[in-house]
Amino acid sequence: MGPGGGDPPGPAPVAAAPKAGYPGDAMDMAFDAGSEVSDEALLVAFGNGDREAAMLLTARLTPRVMGFAARMLHGDRSEAEDVTQEAMLRLWKIAPEWRQGEAKVTTWLYRVTANLCTDRLRKRRNVGIDAIPEPEDDRPGVAAELMARTRAEALQAALDALPERQRIAVTLRHLEGRSNPEIAEVLGISVEAVESLTARGKRALAASLGQRREELGYVED
Amino acid sequence: MSKTDKIMLSDAALEDIFAAGRASPPAPSEALMARVLADADEVIAARSQATDRPAELARRSLWARVVSGLGGWPAVAGMVTATIAGVWIGFASPDQLNTLAGGLLLPGSDGAASYELEDILPAGSGLSVLFEEG
Repeated sequence: MGPGGGDPPGPAPVAAAPKAGYPGDAMDMAFDAGSEVSDEALLVAFGNGDREAAMLLTARLTPRVMGFAARMLHGDRSEAEDVTQEAMLRLWKIAPEWRQGEAKVTTWLYRVTANLCTDRLRKRRNVGIDAIPEPEDDRPGVAAELMARTRAEALQAALDALPERQRIAVTLRHLEGRSNPEIAEVLGISVEAVESLTARGKRALAASLGQRREELGYVED
Repeated sequence: MSKTDKIMLSDAALEDIFAAGRASPPAPSEALMARVLADADEVIAARSQATDRPAELARRSLWARVVSGLGGWPAVAGMVTATIAGVWIGFASPDQLNTLAGGLLLPGSDGAASYELEDILPAGSGLSVLFEEG
C-alpha cells in the first residue's frame, strides 16, 4: 500500500467542512492527506483482497455517495443510507473486473447511485411528500448558523422540485463539484446537454428561492 | 418575463446558497460506515473461499481419478506390494527363491540338475530349430 496506509480516522465532523469547498474535497483532506493513491488503484488493490484499500475507499467514497443520494432522495437520510450501502456493495463486487484507465470510480459510483435513487423515487411516487421525515438536527444555534441551515433546507426543498435529471446535474456540478464532462458520463449525454440542464436547473432554483429571498436574508432593492 | 426576473435570486445569492448546502452535506453515520466496511470484508471472504475451493477440489479429484483408474485402493495396495517385492528380489536375488522355483531360475547354481529351456517347454514346439538357426 502507498503512503495512504494506516488506520483511517472516523468520519470528519460536518462542521469542519470549509464553507466554500466541496464536501468530497474536505473528506479527501481529512481522510488521506498526503495520499497520492488514486481511487482506481485502491479498487484494484481491493480486488486483490487488500482490506486496507477497502478502508480507505470507504472513508473517501461513502460520504460522497451519501451526500449525493440524500440530495436526490429529498433529504431522506435513512433511504439515502440504504442506497449508499447498496452502491458501495456493488462497487466491492465489481472490483476484480475493474481495469485501471477505463473509467473513474467516482463517475461509476455516481451513475449507479443515480440509477438506484431513480428506482426508489419511482417506487414511492405515490407516497405523499408529508411522509418524508424532517431533518433530524434541530438543535438551537446562533443566528448565522440558523440562517445557514435555513438556506441549506431551502436549497434542498428547491432541488426537490426540479425534474430528476436537472437535479442530478445541478447537485453534481454545484454541490459535489464535479466537472461537466464527468456529469455527461454519469448521465450518458453530451457536455452541451449537461450545460443546458444545469443552466435550466439553476434558473428554476433562482426562481423558486427568489420567492423566499427575504426569509433567506437577501433583501434586494 | 420582466415580472419573473423580479423574483429571481441573483447569481451571487444562489452561489451563496450552494455554499451553505456544501457546508452541511448529508454525512454518513458511523453505523453506515461500519456496514459498508463489513460488506467489503464479506466480499473479500467470499472471494477467497471461492478461489480456494476449486484448487482443493481439483487436487482431490486428481487423486480420486488416479486411484479409481487403477481399480480402487485394494488394487493400489496390491501394486505397491508387488513393486516392493520386485525391488527386493532384484537387489537380494535370494537363493531360496531359486530353491522354491525348483532351480528353474538359476540353473546350475546349486549343483542340482539343470534344465534347458526346451526341457520345460512342450515337445515339438520347434524352439530348438530356432536356437540352432540363431
